[in-house]
Amino acid sequence: MRQFTYTRARTTAEAVTAFGRAGREARYIAGGTSLYDLMKLGVERPLHLIDIADLDEMRHVDTAGERLVFGAGALMADVAENPVVRRDYPMLSESLSKAASQQLRNMATVGGNLLQRTRCPYFRHGAGGIYPCNKREPGSGCAAIGGLDRGQAVLGTSSACTAVSPGDWPVALTALDAVVELTGPAGPRSLPIADFYLLPGSTPDREFAMLPGEIITGIAVPKTAAGRRSTYHKIRDRESYAFALTSAAVALTIDGGRIRKAHVAIGGVGTRPWRARQTEVLLEGRPPTREAALAAAHAAFAGARPGKENAFKLELGARTIADAVVIAAERKV
Amino acid sequence: MTDRSNDETIGITRRETLHGGAVASLALATPPAPAAAQLPAPARLPAHAREFGLQLATSINGEPVSVAIDARSSLLDVLREGLGLTGAKKGCDHGQCGACTVHLDGRRVASCLTLAAKADGREIVTIEGIADGETLHPMQQAFIDHDALQCGYCTPGQIMAAIACVKEGHASSREEIREYMSGNICRCGAYVGIVAAIEQASTKMRRA
Amino acid sequence: MSIERNPDRPRIDAREKVLGKAQFAADRPVPGLLHAMTVPAAIAKGDITAIDVERAAGVPGVVRVFTWRDFADIRETPATRGGGGDKPGYQPMKRPSVRHRGEPVALVVAETLEAAIEGAEAVSVRYRPSSFTASREQPGAEREPVTVDHRAGDAPAAFAAATSKLDVTYLHPQQHHNPIEMISTTAAFVDGKIVVMEGTQNSAAFKFGIAGMLGQDPQSFESSSPYVGGGFGQKNQLQQQSALVVRAAMLLKRPVKLVMPRSQLFHTATYRPLSRHRVQVGAGADGKFEAVLYDIEQQNSRFDQFGAAAGEHVSRMYATPNWRSTNQRVRVDVQAPAHQRAPQEHPSSYATECAYDELAYALGVDPLELRVRNDTQHDPITGKPFTSRNLAECLRRGAARFGWDRRKKEPGSMRTRDGMLVGFGVGAGAYKASMSPAVAKLRVNADGSSRLAITGHEFGQGMRSAVAAELINVLDIDPNRLEIALGDTSVAPQHITVGSWGCASSAPAARAAAELLRSKLVELVGAGRAKGPVASAIARARRPFLEVEVSQAGLEQPATVFQRLNSGMPAPVGPEYKQFTAFSWIAHFAEVHVEPSTCRVRVPRVVSVCDCGRVLNHRTAQNQVRGGVVWAFGAALRESAEIDARFGRILNNDLADYVLPVNADIGEIDVELLDVPDTNLNISGAKGIGEVAMVGATAAIVNAVYHATGKRVRHVPIRIEDLL
Repeated sequence: MRQFTYTRARTTAEAVTAFGRAGREARYIAGGTSLYDLMKLGVERPLHLIDIADLDEMRHVDTAGERLVFGAGALMADVAENPVVRRDYPMLSESLSKAASQQLRNMATVGGNLLQRTRCPYFRHGAGGIYPCNKREPGSGCAAIGGLDRGQAVLGTSSACTAVSPGDWPVALTALDAVVELTGPAGPRSLPIADFYLLPGSTPDREFAMLPGEIITGIAVPKTAAGRRSTYHKIRDRESYAFALTSAAVALTIDGGRIRKAHVAIGGVGTRPWRARQTEVLLEGRPPTREAALAAAHAAFAGARPGKENAFKLELGARTIADAVVIAAERKV
Repeated sequence: MTDRSNDETIGITRRETLHGGAVASLALATPPAPAAAQLPAPARLPAHAREFGLQLATSINGEPVSVAIDARSSLLDVLREGLGLTGAKKGCDHGQCGACTVHLDGRRVASCLTLAAKADGREIVTIEGIADGETLHPMQQAFIDHDALQCGYCTPGQIMAAIACVKEGHASSREEIREYMSGNICRCGAYVGIVAAIEQASTKMRRA
Repeated sequence: MSIERNPDRPRIDAREKVLGKAQFAADRPVPGLLHAMTVPAAIAKGDITAIDVERAAGVPGVVRVFTWRDFADIRETPATRGGGGDKPGYQPMKRPSVRHRGEPVALVVAETLEAAIEGAEAVSVRYRPSSFTASREQPGAEREPVTVDHRAGDAPAAFAAATSKLDVTYLHPQQHHNPIEMISTTAAFVDGKIVVMEGTQNSAAFKFGIAGMLGQDPQSFESSSPYVGGGFGQKNQLQQQSALVVRAAMLLKRPVKLVMPRSQLFHTATYRPLSRHRVQVGAGADGKFEAVLYDIEQQNSRFDQFGAAAGEHVSRMYATPNWRSTNQRVRVDVQAPAHQRAPQEHPSSYATECAYDELAYALGVDPLELRVRNDTQHDPITGKPFTSRNLAECLRRGAARFGWDRRKKEPGSMRTRDGMLVGFGVGAGAYKASMSPAVAKLRVNADGSSRLAITGHEFGQGMRSAVAAELINVLDIDPNRLEIALGDTSVAPQHITVGSWGCASSAPAARAAAELLRSKLVELVGAGRAKGPVASAIARARRPFLEVEVSQAGLEQPATVFQRLNSGMPAPVGPEYKQFTAFSWIAHFAEVHVEPSTCRVRVPRVVSVCDCGRVLNHRTAQNQVRGGVVWAFGAALRESAEIDARFGRILNNDLADYVLPVNADIGEIDVELLDVPDTNLNISGAKGIGEVAMVGATAAIVNAVYHATGKRVRHVPIRIEDLL
């Protein structure tokens, strides 16, 4: 790790100003669970760190209005435990509490979590000329393609990159049409989460639709009655403390034993948090049974392009969605 | 941080705060500099490191501590290498094992993934700080009673996580304990004892 | 010979451990310490054409950058591997070449850890890569001749003639020990000697082996390893880094510490190699074995001697009149594998106990009954009796505790109320009962304090508690005022503590010392006044203290064995003795639940019953069994090194991607220890437990997965995709 300067900002404006002066080799740091980790791995090599964890203006959780509003600096553990979130949006709470460990959830922020970078081992463990990686070193190639690809994405891949988007919380937010609030040198703006994450295409190094110097200040989630009948179902290689092989965020509105409206997003399978629109359409009007859900769930993988060892994610992903539909439907309203 | 500027304007006015490498808190408008700011320049840091160094003022196990650190240092490395508090252990250095768990402002965190600089002005409690003199913390005693350890290397992290687990209210059932203790890997495989110990200690801690 | 049973006692060093006061190697304070960091090779094989250290040397705080030129004269000696064979092994950084991915190619020493890391990143190495072979399936894999390791009768003929035949092949992956204490080496200067502090199961190697490698007198070195943060076999020899750090400290004349990062340890430390197991069983219709042909193929490095013979315990498990086991090493360009908990016994028990399960289903015989039916009191290989074998009792008691009678025969026929598929599985195991020479120096003071200095290492198995038990039993000393010094070449000669012979060697030495001290007391004051707590008797005799030293050899070992002990060489004996063969025995029963949709496998409970001879400490011994079961769970359902053969590199080289069991994975583990002393073996009546704990348990889980699902998966770990 090379040396860097460390600066603690007290306001967003200070942070943005500091970033502007520091230039391209600056990074904002909040919890640091992802950035500091990648610095230790030599993947991130900032010259300046601007600490935004202490911005009081970004810590709030407001569940009173028309939208749930989460300050970007709120800790994952705190949002997971928020009583309103737990009661009315179990999907959001579960997506946080099933991520990482309590130690890391006590450090990481809900804003920073949106920016967690892929766990692709060729990306993480390849700095210093070990593995080529177009995300880490544009143009160097992709070692995962033709390599050990059990963990790689099957949706949204390109010939340059198959790295999975690692998050759980972003998947749940995607299902609920969250909006990402940003501020930066050009002032504040909002971005629907669907537009926040970029497909790899030929530029897998560009992952987020953020401008240089921008900070996530908050996340807004439109309230929906479907929140109570929701779940975040996560299948992984061990019972806890692991990233998703497949996951499904499902929220349902049920009328007369039939699904009226479904929100479905999936994780562990896509190069970004993946909204399963076709599955949502197919679920509507159907009873929330496992059989009906499974048929609809397979549609989520219609365009999937599996590699050598990850084809199982198509079936597992569909079953994960189907189980999530059943779990969500059984939730008391 | 000690190197607080007296500038009354918001934003950076001194280019050297970033480009010269010294550290600056940008909290310039209101809060007065803490007591630590008056401490002398870093003494324990080699000269070369001072340029990128910081003075960390914190409380560890109830005692005020001021120490010069390299900005790159993890809290774990400062505790172990700088302060001789070797109870917290390094098992992975990437937040993947939990052996480095300490309490920061009452919350359990992975000290290996915590920039030491972030601990400035905050309270740290380590395994060295939880017994009351010769009297063990109920969690320590429970770990002995249930032989919730073998080699003992992950044990300080397990105990710090376990105390937090109870205080958070996540010890209501074995299933919940298992889930909320999964951030601490015990390669010896003493998990059955760890769960039993936490069940015992949580009862005592609630009574206390 | 009758011997007292040990009551329930706490682990004697638990207090230090829960206080965070137990000092592991990297915890020990050393004034003026320098920090080191290694630069791992970025190729799998080839030559180093240039190393540019200029930038690294210019990093503020860097004291010196070492390359192969500084270490070229380090010698590879048999001691390099701590006695792991007759070939010298391989020491990196002796030459401008690379023999496996990730070996150190430079060592940066700095005033601070941060500077050492930055310096290591700044070293620029140029290579001339050559082609390499990273897997046994690739061209260039070198197959050694097949060797027969155990034989009885005429197995091929008997197999050909058998009425029922089974021929199956099981695969076991490469696994890594991953003790949570990362391997660290500190070389310090104390009283004119160099003291090497590295968490090790073999401190003697750090006195004699390091001296041999550096061409120095062993008396210039001591090694101290009082607490080891988990070993599991990975810490039973000199590491690739050990001599480098010591030499660096000698050249700099300052103490140096290296904590090797986990990601590098995956490529420098030892591991359990990949293996392939063909099991052919010929049996009668009643399930009685007529012949077993067992052939193992095991991957190895180009340069190490880690043996592949896996027939030692499996050939003794059941009455098998005709047995033949063979082994073959396949050499590729990787670092050396070596012993990992139940090194051969775990994979071989996995393969054979699963194969026997297949046979039981094929014949319609209850898998438990199949094992009981093939029980024997005689070693099929030597024909000698077993000194003690209570395997059938373990199986019967385990079945009763587990509720095996609730098992429905048909696979896939049991379910929980919430729809999980339920499977019951059984597996059995054994592990050789070996011993090694040990020296115990005991002093009991009239004030009630006492000190034991002894041969042995403590890495969680409870060595201190085991030796303390004998002192408490024989002398009634106060355990709270007992100091135990071990794992240190300066306090007593040290022997490698592995192979489950540690406690069965050190406890008898402690007991012998205690008995000698008691008899000295009797000489001094007479039998009547020597009774009761020994410290009081010493005080009554108006002596300040009594002191004894004993040298305790293993069974049948000649006095010359102490020459080996005193020169740091391994000197174990067993499991074959003149009159008998000796093993520890265990039976495991596992219940698995398989989610029908996403096929997650859970193991809510395991029952294990073990015959480990006399139990020295019930808590630590039971804990060993639970730990062994957790390891077996990891092997069955979690752990595997993922090797990208294009790079010769382990892709999942951290604790996020190398999937170890976490707390939420582990259910109830019910342990019973038969506690039947085996005083034929030693005066403590002890056999080993740490290794046998794991043997057979993976098979129990895998067999339960079959019973739950009807799917016979012949590789581990079993993952979701295997059952979908």
